[in-house]
Amino acid sequence: MKEEIIKKLEEIVGPNWVDTDSERVISYSREQTNNAYDLVTPQPVEGSVIVKPAGAQEIAEVLKYANQELIKVIPKGAGTGLSANAIPTEPSIILSVERLNSILEVDEENLMVSCETAVTLGDLIEELKKNDKLYFPLHPGDEGAQIGGMVAMNAGGVRAVKHGIMRDQVKGLEAVLPTGEIVSFGGKFGKLLKNNAGYDLMQLLIGSEGTLGVITKVVLKLYPEPKATGTLIIPYQKRRNAFQTVPKILQEGIIPMAIEYMEKEEIEDAAQGIGKEWPSKEGDSYLMVILAEDKEDTLYDKAKVIGEICEEVGAGEILIAETNAEQQNILEIRSHVLPAIADKIVDSPDVTVPRSKLAEYLDQLDQLAEKYNTKIPVIAHAGDGNLHPIILKEEGEVPSYYDQLKEEIYQIAVELGGTVTGEHGVGMLRLKFLPLQLSQAEQQIMWKIKEAFDPNEILNPGKAVVKVLN
Amino acid sequence: MKIIVLIKQVPEMERVKFDTTRGVINRKSAGVEINPFDLNALEAALQIKEEFAAEVIALSMGPTRAEGVIKEAIARGADDGILLTDRKFSGADTRATAYLLASAIDKIGNVDLVIAGEMTVDGDTAQVGPQTAEYLGLAHIAYVTKLEEITEDYLTVVAPTWDGNYSKKINYPGLITVTKDLNTPRLPLLKRKLEVREAEVEKWGIADFETELDPQDVGLKGSCTRVRKIEVPSPVEREGKMWTGDQLREAITEVAQICQEKDRMGE
Repeated sequence: MKEEIIKKLEEIVGPNWVDTDSERVISYSREQTNNAYDLVTPQPVEGSVIVKPAGAQEIAEVLKYANQELIKVIPKGAGTGLSANAIPTEPSIILSVERLNSILEVDEENLMVSCETAVTLGDLIEELKKNDKLYFPLHPGDEGAQIGGMVAMNAGGVRAVKHGIMRDQVKGLEAVLPTGEIVSFGGKFGKLLKNNAGYDLMQLLIGSEGTLGVITKVVLKLYPEPKATGTLIIPYQKRRNAFQTVPKILQEGIIPMAIEYMEKEEIEDAAQGIGKEWPSKEGDSYLMVILAEDKEDTLYDKAKVIGEICEEVGAGEILIAETNAEQQNILEIRSHVLPAIADKIVDSPDVTVPRSKLAEYLDQLDQLAEKYNTKIPVIAHAGDGNLHPIILKEEGEVPSYYDQLKEEIYQIAVELGGTVTGEHGVGMLRLKFLPLQLSQAEQQIMWKIKEAFDPNEILNPGKAVVKVLN
Repeated sequence: MKIIVLIKQVPEMERVKFDTTRGVINRKSAGVEINPFDLNALEAALQIKEEFAAEVIALSMGPTRAEGVIKEAIARGADDGILLTDRKFSGADTRATAYLLASAIDKIGNVDLVIAGEMTVDGDTAQVGPQTAEYLGLAHIAYVTKLEEITEDYLTVVAPTWDGNYSKKINYPGLITVTKDLNTPRLPLLKRKLEVREAEVEKWGIADFETELDPQDVGLKGSCTRVRKIEVPSPVEREGKMWTGDQLREAITEVAQICQEKDRMGE
C-alpha cells in the first residue's frame, strides 16, 4: 500500500490504529472459509492495510477517502463467514470494526437491545444472562461472530425455526455508505415494529454481505425467556425417515426452536474434538429438536406428540436433555461439527429446499452419491429446510468430479424450488452458481442497486452480486 | 445387589442470584435441578447395574417439590426412589442430613453400596457422603475418578490424595463419593420421563421411622452449624491498560514495577 495512503489513514484514525505488519495483514485477510474449505477458497493477496476506526464518523472519513482515491475496502468483522465473504483479492483497506464493541442499551420496555456492530454473539448472550426475563434466540454457531457481521450475512443457524433468521430480528440499523454518508434505518431510535416510510433499505442492507455499506449499529428484537426448555435427541437408522419427520412435527402445530439433523460420524467427531461424548449410541443419523415453552407441562405434551410421530416413522429411543448444562453440551457439540470435520471435507454447499421436499432432496442426493461413487454426508438445519451436503476429500485432495457434483447439488435443489444459499451467503464461493437460480433481469437489478450505493465499486468487490451490464 | 444413590435438588447455579443484603440465596431467581455431581453418582450405579443386575434406589432429603429429582433419577434408570420430607427435617446441616440419610439407608436395609456426588454445588462442603458412611459404620472413599474393577464383592477405584492418584479397593458394604471426571451421565429416555411424570414418589416423614432415628438428631435441632450470614464477594473486574508502540520503554518499566510489587518477578 502506498505511503501516502497509510499517512492519510493515520490522520483519520490515529497512527496507533493503522497496521501494515504483513503477518497481521494476512491474518486479518483470512476468514473461517479458509479454515473450513481450505482447498477451494481463494487465498488473500498481500499488501493490504488494516484500519481500526473508533466509530461511524471515522469510518465515514475512511470511506470518503477510499471512494475518492478508488481504493478497495473490505469491511471486517470476526471473520466467521463461510463463503469467502471478506477476503481481499487485491491490496485493500481492511476496515476492522473491532473497536465498536459496546452494548448500548437493553430496552426492557420495547424488548430490544441496541449494540455496536462488533459486539459478539457471546457478549450478547453473557449480557442477557444478567436479565431475568429477556433473551435472544438465534444461535448461528460460532459465538465469536459479531452482530454486525451476522446482520450483513443474514445469518441463520441452529435456533431459527421458531423466531426466524437475523433478518427477522433487526429493527434498527446504522450504516456508513461507500460514499461516506452515515445513514440510520428504522426511525430515530430504530425501535419501530411498523414502518412503511419508503423502500425498506434496512432489509436491503441485511444480507448484502458488506457490499452496500458498513454496518455500525444494530437494534435487535429480544424475546421473553421461555420458562421450560428441553432438547430431544432422536436416532434413526435411515436418514430419509429423519427428514420425513420434520414436516409431520410442524403439521401438528409444534414449532420448536430448532430441528437439527446430523449423522453419526460427524457428530461423534465433533464431540470428540471438544472432549465430550455424544449422548445417543443408537442409529446412524439424528434429529435434535429444541423445544422452548412457557410451561413444563406444555413442553412435555409436545414432546409426547413428537415421540408418537417418531415412533410411526421408525425412530429409535428418544433422549431428552433438560438441565442447562446438558442442553448446552449438546449445542456445543453441534456447533463444533464444521471445525471437527474440516480435515475430511472439500466443501459443504448451503442449499435450502421447501421443507416438504426434504425427503425427496435426500433421495436425489443418494442418487448423486451413487453416480459419483462417493458418500455425501449431510448436516442440516432441517426445520428450516436448510441442508449442508458434504463433499468429501479423496485421498486428501479435491476429487476430480468436485465442480460437477457441486453444481448438481445446487441444480437439484433449485429444481425442487430451492436456493443455492440458505444462510452462508454468496460470497465468492457461490457467485458462479447464482445464475442457476436468478434470471438475467433479477441479476441486472441487483447490480444496479450495487451501483446506486457504491458507484465506484470500492466496497467488498467481487462478492455477493454478479456484475451484469446491459 | 442393592445400591443407594444420594441425590439433592439444588438451584441452577449458573443463574441463581444472591440477596447480598440479607445474605441468603434468592431461590426465586433460578430454577432447580439435580446436583450435577449426583448425576455422575447415578451413572456409576447404572453402570454397575448393567453388569450385576443391581437394584438402584435414589434417596434424597428435601421439601416435597424435591420429588422432581427422584423422578429425574428414575427417568435416567434408577429402579426406585425415596424422598425424605418432613418439616422437622428442615434447617439441617451436614451432620443432621447425614444422620437422617444414614437412618433411611439403615431402614431400607441390605444395602451393598452407597454412591454420592463429591459435593453439592450449593453447599460445597463435601461432607455429607463421608459423614453418612461414618454413621453407618461403612468403609468409604471420597473423590473417586475411575472405577477400575467392578465385582460382586468389591470395587477397585482410583481416587486422588494430595498430588497422587491411588488405586483403592473397597469391600461391600461401602460408600464412595464421585467426581465429574468419573463418567458422562446418560440422558433420560423421553418415554420413561413421560411415565414417571405421572407416577407417585415414595415419601418418608419422621413418623415413618421407628427405632432407626432419634427425632432430636434431625433438622435444625440436630444441627451443630448455625449460618449467621453469607457474604457474597463482589466480582473483581480485571483492569486493563494499553500501551502503544512509541511507549515501549514506559510500558516495560511499568509492567516490571507491577510484577515486583505483586512479587511475580521470580528469579
